[in-house]
Amino acid sequence: MAQEMIVKNKKKRKIKPFSVINGIIFIIICFFTIVPIWKVLIDSLDLYTSYGMRLWPKRFGLDGYITVFSNSTLYRPLLVSVITTLAGTVLGLLLSTLGGYVLIQWKMPGRNILAGLLLFTMIFSGGMIPTYLVVKNLGLTNTLLSVILLPAINVYNLVLMRNFFEGIPNALFEAAEIDGCSPFQTFYKIVLPLSKAALASIGLMFAVAYWNDYTNFKLYITNADLYNFQMKLRSLILGSDLPTALGSATENTVKNAAVMVAIIPFMFIYPFCQKYFISGINIGAVKE
Amino acid sequence: MKKKGSAGVAVVSPKKTRKYVIKYKSFYIMFIPVILFTLVFHYLPLFGLGYAFTEFRGIKDPEFIGLENFTRMFSSQGFLNAFGNTLKLSIVKLILNTGLAVIISLMLNEIKSLKFKKTTQTIIYLPHFMSWVVTASVFTLILSPSQEGLVNALLVNLGILDKGQEIYFLGSKKWWTPMFYVINMWKDTGWGTIIFLATLSGISPELYEAATMDGAGRWAQMRFITMPALANTIITVLILNLAKVMNLFESVFVLQNTAVIQQADVLQTYIYTQTFNSGALPNYGYTTAVGVVKSLVGCVLVLLCNYLSKKVRGRGII
Repeated sequence: MAQEMIVKNKKKRKIKPFSVINGIIFIIICFFTIVPIWKVLIDSLDLYTSYGMRLWPKRFGLDGYITVFSNSTLYRPLLVSVITTLAGTVLGLLLSTLGGYVLIQWKMPGRNILAGLLLFTMIFSGGMIPTYLVVKNLGLTNTLLSVILLPAINVYNLVLMRNFFEGIPNALFEAAEIDGCSPFQTFYKIVLPLSKAALASIGLMFAVAYWNDYTNFKLYITNADLYNFQMKLRSLILGSDLPTALGSATENTVKNAAVMVAIIPFMFIYPFCQKYFISGINIGAVKE
Repeated sequence: MKKKGSAGVAVVSPKKTRKYVIKYKSFYIMFIPVILFTLVFHYLPLFGLGYAFTEFRGIKDPEFIGLENFTRMFSSQGFLNAFGNTLKLSIVKLILNTGLAVIISLMLNEIKSLKFKKTTQTIIYLPHFMSWVVTASVFTLILSPSQEGLVNALLVNLGILDKGQEIYFLGSKKWWTPMFYVINMWKDTGWGTIIFLATLSGISPELYEAATMDGAGRWAQMRFITMPALANTIITVLILNLAKVMNLFESVFVLQNTAVIQQADVLQTYIYTQTFNSGALPNYGYTTAVGVVKSLVGCVLVLLCNYLSKKVRGRGII
């Protein structure tokens, strides 16, 4: 007994230096992850004209943010981002859930043809220019419809949704059918309420994609009035159209504040929704 | 007993099929929006692939010129350069990101304090949610050659660089490619650990206990239990991502500039600039042809990966 204790103690002592080094390495990794964001945050709050490495703003002030929110060329893109994100997420979820629900109807004639039609798009695509020409010929360029409709059909997310629906016990569907539920009633009375976690996680994926969308805007929107915040931020950083800074904010403060405004919404929801983001990955990884 | 068809659909007589179609009619109706979006945004563009064989600038009707676009493409230095860069940048990026993610997951797995582990995970996942525009903005600001750029300021303060000799990292032929890899690692390594951590937490603790009883040390345990368990996941991740190699676009597009076009042009950015920033009327025919080559190579890669995936883990990726 006593010997066992000694052995255990020895082990504990042996593990310790490794754990300490491991811990230190992770503190360094976290430090390097945070530093770029921290630097932008500090500079966005700093009105002092010369920048360097500082842990804290030298002359604290919110003028950078005030400029972003009071300048219509900046808050208008923000509004566009909010609109496309909300509309796109709803539409994307609608298409993914409907598609996923139909794809679990294994006995439906033609089910495999329909599934094949969707999956083929993951293997071969027309590419950037033919897609652009279709959008253009439909008259969707320079309308927000192009950037809302196009990313809404996402076969990968649809397949994730289908995987999740497959986990719903068959007995529930049978019971619903016996109780006289139409397929549509089953869909919104049983399938959707049971899939809140999947809706949250795939909804968040859509929301992030829409909020961060730059490629589609770059391709289909040339009218600066319809730019979203990513587009605006890009031209701001490239220095092509800086708004007049308000108060004592410098050009650099405004740039940094604009970067922060693009990040902040997700910084706020992220800690609360982390598990949904992660479960999305795992639905995809565990099942096919 | 009903026989199952190879695709999993019950084989039934035509009469029964009709009955089934009627029974499932509301499902067909539900699928209409999905199929409509797919046809319009994924299948209509396929008809545009024919432009690859034409001279088409958007004003006059397309004029058939055979394979001229393709011969022009394969003799164009810009195209060949972009093709090489696409493969190089995405494959090196993939290997670096995956390798680092594996190492970090192994180390994270050794952390005993749950609170510390959770906090670390929250922090290292964070950059994944930033758009490429934001990422490029952040790094443009901190890598800037002016005194406001964090990295240059640090190098000057440490005496490694003289004042006035600051490096323009993202505009330097020598530095752009390494910076591209570093920025990619910063953004996606943390997120990449999720799948490996899930595998690691699935390894039965009894295996480790048994190994300890047999006198296996930490390294032996890692070599004979952890690594074999991870190997399958690593291969899966590599295969899944290899299929996406040709799609590299936004990350490169927002980080490149004219000074480093030789290092930083990839197929998708080549298509974009040739079409929209060429200064002349967009040559849709030529850039569609480039897109066709890109899609074909991508398609071959996907099918190859699917085949490999079936061999290695017994199921395809699509």
